[in-house]
Amino acid sequence: MSDSLYAQLVGLSGGVLLLSAVLIVWRRSISAEVRLLAVQGGALAGLVTVLGVNEGSTELLVVAGLVLTLKVVVLPGLLFRAVARHGASLREETPLINTTTSLIALSLLTMLAFLVSRPLLVLGDDPAIAAVPIGIALVLYGFLVLATRRHAFSQLIGFLVLDNGIGTVAFLTAGGIPLVVELGASLDLLLVVLILQVLTARIRSEFGDADLDDLTELRD
Amino acid sequence: MDLFAVLPIAFCLMLAVGTSAPPLGGLRRYAGVVASAVILVSGLALVVAVLDGQTPTAVGGQLRVDALSAFMLTVVGSVGLTATWGGLEPRTGPRATASYPALVALFLGAMSLAVLADNIGVLWVAIEATTIATAFLVGYHRSRRSLEAAWKYVVLASVGVAIALLGIVLLYAATRSGGSPTLSWSQLDANRPPLDPSLVRVAAALAILGFATKAGLAPMHSWLPDAHSQAPAPVSGLMSGVLLSVAFYAILRVQAIAGPVIGPGLMRGMLVTAGLLSLAVAAALTIRQRDLKRMLAYSSIEHMGLLALAAAAGGVLALSAALLHVLGHGLAKSSTFVVSGRILATEGTTSTTQIRGLLTRRPGVAAPFLVGMVALLGLPPFSLFFSEVAIVIAGVERGLTWVMAVAVVLMLVIFAGLARHTFAVMFGQRTAPGRGEAAEPADRGAHGPWIPLAVALGVTALIGFAAGPFSTILTDAAAVLGANQ
Amino acid sequence: MNAEAAVLALAQVVAMVALSPLLVGMMRQVRARLEGRAGAGALQPWRDLRKLLAKETLQAAGTSWVSVAGPTVLIVSSLLVCAMTPLLGTVTFTSVPDDLFVVVSVLLIGTVAVALVGLDAGTAFGGMGSSRHMTIAALVEPTVLVSVYALSIPVGSSVLSQIVEARLDDPASVASPVSLLALLALAVAVVAETGRLPVDNPSTHLELTMVHEAMVLESSGRDLAWLELGSWLRLGALLGLLSTLLMPWGIATELSAGGLLLASGALVAKIAITGALLAGVEVFLAKLRLFRIPELLAGSFVLAFLAVTASYLVVQA
Repeated sequence: MSDSLYAQLVGLSGGVLLLSAVLIVWRRSISAEVRLLAVQGGALAGLVTVLGVNEGSTELLVVAGLVLTLKVVVLPGLLFRAVARHGASLREETPLINTTTSLIALSLLTMLAFLVSRPLLVLGDDPAIAAVPIGIALVLYGFLVLATRRHAFSQLIGFLVLDNGIGTVAFLTAGGIPLVVELGASLDLLLVVLILQVLTARIRSEFGDADLDDLTELRD
Repeated sequence: MDLFAVLPIAFCLMLAVGTSAPPLGGLRRYAGVVASAVILVSGLALVVAVLDGQTPTAVGGQLRVDALSAFMLTVVGSVGLTATWGGLEPRTGPRATASYPALVALFLGAMSLAVLADNIGVLWVAIEATTIATAFLVGYHRSRRSLEAAWKYVVLASVGVAIALLGIVLLYAATRSGGSPTLSWSQLDANRPPLDPSLVRVAAALAILGFATKAGLAPMHSWLPDAHSQAPAPVSGLMSGVLLSVAFYAILRVQAIAGPVIGPGLMRGMLVTAGLLSLAVAAALTIRQRDLKRMLAYSSIEHMGLLALAAAAGGVLALSAALLHVLGHGLAKSSTFVVSGRILATEGTTSTTQIRGLLTRRPGVAAPFLVGMVALLGLPPFSLFFSEVAIVIAGVERGLTWVMAVAVVLMLVIFAGLARHTFAVMFGQRTAPGRGEAAEPADRGAHGPWIPLAVALGVTALIGFAAGPFSTILTDAAAVLGANQ
Repeated sequence: MNAEAAVLALAQVVAMVALSPLLVGMMRQVRARLEGRAGAGALQPWRDLRKLLAKETLQAAGTSWVSVAGPTVLIVSSLLVCAMTPLLGTVTFTSVPDDLFVVVSVLLIGTVAVALVGLDAGTAFGGMGSSRHMTIAALVEPTVLVSVYALSIPVGSSVLSQIVEARLDDPASVASPVSLLALLALAVAVVAETGRLPVDNPSTHLELTMVHEAMVLESSGRDLAWLELGSWLRLGALLGLLSTLLMPWGIATELSAGGLLLASGALVAKIAITGALLAGVEVFLAKLRLFRIPELLAGSFVLAFLAVTASYLVVQA
């Protein structure tokens, strides 16, 4: 693959990752956020494919397939079914900070991601390393969603964005992690999502609604 | 000997699958006990092997047993045995559902994998697996509070462990750019590839931050009191007694890898901050507790803070004292949690304001609790006294004098709080002593197996004095962490 | 050089004054046809202007010189914007370059002038329109700045003509993701700045929903003519800028009769297409609630910000 094509494709997938994360923070409808999460998973799989083709590594292509199945098909499918069971149009009505403020916070977090990634740029000159700030930015966006949303599903989506960001950093800096660890991490992620879904269903049946601000009985 | 490395994990997996199958219903009750026993036996065998100079490996080098791993496996086994055996409910009690023994077996298996893994990545997967296994155990009672505790636990622990994964990924990138991509610390120890310090600094900071969340160190401790107070008593005993210590073990391993590259400064600073904050949080909130199990959870935060300070100090004395503390705390805490479960079963509540005069009314249940609390308070002859003193001395020796002074003051505050609650529960008088209460005979029944508690507390009492092979394993384990530098 | 630049500026001003009312007329016609109405014809804005200029100018009671000066300031600033943005050609004055910041500042002067006119009469609707207008402006100006700045990073200069020339030289940069993202943000900002749906409905007659129309309620005659023409010129200039950045071909890099003719034809085509697209999309949009507008503008600001960071990434790599 030619250098400029490689750089452009890496930039394109990074751009889609970032854009989908911004839209996830922007939108309030949870089913739209799940669709954007699927797009983000697809962009991550695309990034891994580009890296794999560039390095000629079949292992990376296999991992790309794994990422595609997990993050585009399985996880969004699970979430869609859970959302459908919940009710027709699920919306995060009352985030802790309003949309405008979270969007401006996103800009600040992007700057922070660039600052934090400075020490990581020692790893090399290629376009993949230059795109590491995108991964860090995704991690920070995931934190923002986790910290400022009240609905259980929104927190779950924030956690998945966080995980996508970590995956991006992993693939960009090190060409992924050893296959064993990758498999284990994917399995863990799947199980965590399943657990959080079951807990959400139980919370809903117990509390009547999955607004996590109702969970205030345990405190000192 | 290599078999003993694989045995605990394989056995736990088999049990987890086996207890899910209906025909083995009778086995379910004892699944956790059997698993813990197997782990303990393997651990002891591996300790013997390691003291002999061997280094058993298995699964193509993915599992590797050095002194530290063998010791930690023994801790997992012994604390597990105490908690599961002591937590066996009387046969007339409600039967556990099918998932409970499977989850406990998975939990024990995951912890064994974590301490035996040679590869940080596999360690990470195992620790995440413990979160998964315990998620439904914490929310077992399905009450509002349990669900709240379970949700907080899963989200905070997963996020923390995800941050640790980011740190591990960056560490892997550093090894890759250093020429030898690996996550195995045996290889890192042997080859010592040149790693970029600034990158390793970020990686180590993130990894320690993430594992510290799982270990319940402040300021990421907020899930701990909820999760450990809402879970069933044996599970709380396992989580407080050994899961926190396994997370601490991960911190020690990361410290050992990053120490030669970036020096002690950053990690020492982080661990001192976390340790002092944890002690401060425990000191501030212990006195306000109204629930026995929550009080014990805050005590766990205190002891984890102390362990963090020991890791910050570094050196043979501090690290071997920390490992002794891990064992002593594990045994004492799990025994106390198990008895608190029995208090809940007999009194119907664990509220410190409502229970009074337990020692006179139910000596069979109160006595082990009192002994366990004396151990946790760090009074002699229990080993926690010796390990705490050793940690303070080691800290002063390594230049953390003021830190240790503050820590001692905070520990005295916590001592006062815990003692007050224990005293009130054990010896207090109900407001209306008459009216038929004096007519009740003292309930001398133990309401559960007394052997595991006696053995656990006895070991905690005696081990402070044991010399010989026991101290060798501790110093060997500390040496593994590069303590002789 | 300066003489050429002066000629170009004059040509641009004349062209835009001729074209902008036609543009507005065409957009209204497109909307009318899509809505199933016959429409008033594309020349109607010219007829309106002629009518207004012939009518007597009345001043509302309690207004001051601001109501007379405001429209004049607006029309002058709009003409300046038309002169400075590279619509027909990229030849600039050496001492007064059409720098991004200069152009945005001149736009802002016009914005503030209109807002002051709205406040001057002391009526409730005027004040309401002015405050809404300034709220939107406060969020739009940074977005315009940042989005065009994103496009200027690869060029290394914030002079609009140089940006356009660089994009002319390198066609690949026009289609790059950074450029598309920045232009998307700029499009949202332009829609907000010129008071089109979904930010403001230009054909509404309900005062409580007005933003721009509320400010001109008390003006009449010549003042109203300048206010209307000024806002049409702004719409034309901004759409022209957007379409030139999107499709730079046809613009004259040096002054010649043939080049100017070609550029004029290209400009007519570009703003006709952009205007028709905008009018067509407007048919399907509803006006956003005022409280949702900051969300939309903050979102476009973030997109512009991301374009800036991404273009820094691209430059580094």
